Amino acid sequence: MNGVLKRRLLFVVGPFTGLVMFASVVMIAMFLTNREYKEPYRAPSTIVDTTPRVEGLAAETAATEASAKARPYAEVEYRTFPVIGSRVAIWAVAQLHLLFAAFVLAVPLFAFIIEAIGYKTGDRRYDRLAYEFTKLLSTSFSLTATFGAFLTFMLIALYPKFTNYLMSVFSPTFLPYVLLFFFEAFFLYTYYYGWGKFHPLVHLGLGLGLNLVGTAIMFIANAWLTFMMSPRGVSDSGAVLSVWDAVYNHTWMPINVHRVIANIAFGGSVAAAYAAFKFLQAETDEERAHYDWMGYIGNFVAISAFLPLPFAGYWLAKEIYAYSQTLGLTMMGGAFSWLFIIQAVLIGNLFLAANYYLWLGMGRVEGMQPLQRFIKYLLIGIAVCFAVWATPRSIIATVSELRAMGGSTHPILGYLGVMSAKNTAVNILILTTFMSFLLYRRTGKIATVSWAKMGHAAQLTIFATAAIIVVFLGIYGYFVEATVRIGLSVPQVSSVLAAMVSITAIDIFLFRGASKTGEVRWGKIPAISQYVLIFIAVTFTWLMGLMGYVRSGLRQHWHVYGVIRDTSVDAFTPTLGFATRVVSATVLLFFLLIAFVFWITSLHDKPDFEQTKTS
Amino acid sequence: MTIPHPVRVGVLVIAATSFYTYVGQMVPQKEVLPPQETLIRADLTTADMVKVGREIMDGKGLCFTCHTIGKTGALRFPDLEGVDTRAQSRVPGLTDIEYFAQSIYEPEKFIVPGFNPGMPVINKPPIGLNDQEILCVIAYLQTLGGMPTVTLQTSHHYYTPAGAPGAAPAPATAAAPGGAPAPATVPAPGAAPGTPPAAPGTPPAAPGATPATPGTLPAAPAAAPAPVPPPKGTR
Repeated sequence: MNGVLKRRLLFVVGPFTGLVMFASVVMIAMFLTNREYKEPYRAPSTIVDTTPRVEGLAAETAATEASAKARPYAEVEYRTFPVIGSRVAIWAVAQLHLLFAAFVLAVPLFAFIIEAIGYKTGDRRYDRLAYEFTKLLSTSFSLTATFGAFLTFMLIALYPKFTNYLMSVFSPTFLPYVLLFFFEAFFLYTYYYGWGKFHPLVHLGLGLGLNLVGTAIMFIANAWLTFMMSPRGVSDSGAVLSVWDAVYNHTWMPINVHRVIANIAFGGSVAAAYAAFKFLQAETDEERAHYDWMGYIGNFVAISAFLPLPFAGYWLAKEIYAYSQTLGLTMMGGAFSWLFIIQAVLIGNLFLAANYYLWLGMGRVEGMQPLQRFIKYLLIGIAVCFAVWATPRSIIATVSELRAMGGSTHPILGYLGVMSAKNTAVNILILTTFMSFLLYRRTGKIATVSWAKMGHAAQLTIFATAAIIVVFLGIYGYFVEATVRIGLSVPQVSSVLAAMVSITAIDIFLFRGASKTGEVRWGKIPAISQYVLIFIAVTFTWLMGLMGYVRSGLRQHWHVYGVIRDTSVDAFTPTLGFATRVVSATVLLFFLLIAFVFWITSLHDKPDFEQTKTS
Repeated sequence: MTIPHPVRVGVLVIAATSFYTYVGQMVPQKEVLPPQETLIRADLTTADMVKVGREIMDGKGLCFTCHTIGKTGALRFPDLEGVDTRAQSRVPGLTDIEYFAQSIYEPEKFIVPGFNPGMPVINKPPIGLNDQEILCVIAYLQTLGGMPTVTLQTSHHYYTPAGAPGAAPAPATAAAPGGAPAPATVPAPGAAPGTPPAAPGTPPAAPGATPATPGTLPAAPAAAPAPVPPPKGTR
């Protein structure tokens, strides 16, 4: 009875939803058209007595019409979006477009790599995993395109004059963009629908094409937005001198690199969240094992990309400073300086959560106890670094507290608020997380090579050396001039990167042919680990929203920095509180939509209607 | 009763987002308004110019984003304490006024030893101070270790007031495409009597905005030439 009722209900829900959607569109259209002024109805003059008043009114109407017809065309500079205003409307739509675009660009990257591993090793599990990731793409691609079109129309409608200017500068890039978009659709759908239908190498070729085209599309779009931040190739008054220079502006390549890495981190985390959700709903051990593995791989991808991300961020910040010291100082020392404290909280949470997931994951492996004792030290290291990173230079305090401190800088904690301390903290955080990865990797394994002892000692020495270099340079930074101090971050970063690469290289050979103390029991992990994966995805998304805001908001009252000034009512820079509320609203909307994507994707695995009826 | 996983996930997403929003409310909240355009009144005295100069350095000029006054230690940009004393002999052949003007119009020409280049050209966007505003800034800088001598009629290598001997007619200012005239300055609460009212449609000044300095008027559109009286060409 219940089943029949449910089916009848479902039968009604579809058309009803369609009607509601249609009614909503009609209501929005009516709302927008009603905002235009309309002449009130007047009775036709033929049925009305001609009086001086009527004649006067008729003359007035005729004069109004004549004046309306004679009115010259004038370009509107700005239009207002109802209720929330134009800026917030554009902000939310652009952010949603970007989040979906990031996901659509990132997933094929690691799906392609996983598929290639599967082809090389002959392990079908990898192929299945790559396909599982790719299943998320089709709906996401449609949503990306929808939000892209939405953003374009919103820009044309709300910021027509500025959009017109950008179009005049970048018109030569539009045709290649559209062509590439067409190619992306071709590659994406053939890659997805052609799974298992072509020779594996042909299919991998399609995946490669999809990645190349997707990256090229992003590079073109990046040119438009980086031009707004660091314009080049135009005269002081905005006339185009060189389109190539406008494309290849100061921040274009750093943003390209930063976005590729960030997209992978973000895409990996969302894919891991999908796996976590499926794990929680899984009914069999086999399903749980599969989705546990998928979540692990997604998180591995996310964290692997996340570790080098701060270095790409350094490069971007360096280029911003090189382009304009004013812009750089507005970012780090001016209106946006407190934003980086919020960023520190987010990144600290990401590191904590990522490490926690790895430590929980060790429980999957029999014989993990010997390595468990290191966790508490890693946790202390992470907590200390997190605290240092989140310590602001100026403390919010009452007047009496400020008087007692002798200023807004705390006499002791103030030392932790400067870049020397922050750089040291973030580099040690990266090293610690890398150590967690390493411990996880070797859980349940014992190296059997003849040089095992020496290998372990070499790894430990490299790790300690990198940590000492980072800490020494961090302290040294307090005693030298700014010009020297800025340069110290390079050897800090280099030593961490060198340590990560060399330790990994040693590890690969060290554990070749290692004896196993226990097998990995996929699926045997506490459910809380899956909530951690979802938390990581939310935090990544929020971080992307926040950093997108600072990149865009940095221009302050300029549409194109130093060239086209923003003269709209939204030309001011809002408070960080307001910005974070908009970011949160956008993130919630994104997760609502991604839940829809997950639901659509999960329909794949459901039995057909006819099968359900039979069973 | 077991709470279904989708509900738990939903709660987690909302809770995490709410936590980050909360963190966002905990940091100092400051709304940054676009710089107010000021038109320098023709009858400003040097003392008035010093006040206006300080205000410009604090606001539109963004000078204190980088520079400090009276700070020691490892600095990224030169501290301005006593700068006028140094300016008088920093570059042979340049007076303090000429040196300040060079630092503002052509900042790359001389870099203070121990510092990296980084000062933007101040008379061009995005900061874009006009020649009179720069004179006011120079007047203020002179007070840091010296006595201000600048007037609005002072000329230097980069600027000769209109009508001064050898002064060329002022070229028409070209507006950037898409760039509208700068909005008129709105008198802040507590503005000096006689300050003209705000232009219709302009937003009110934010609470806590700096009161308008006596001697400044709301700006004319950016493209309009500044009404400067016939100069005397003094330096």
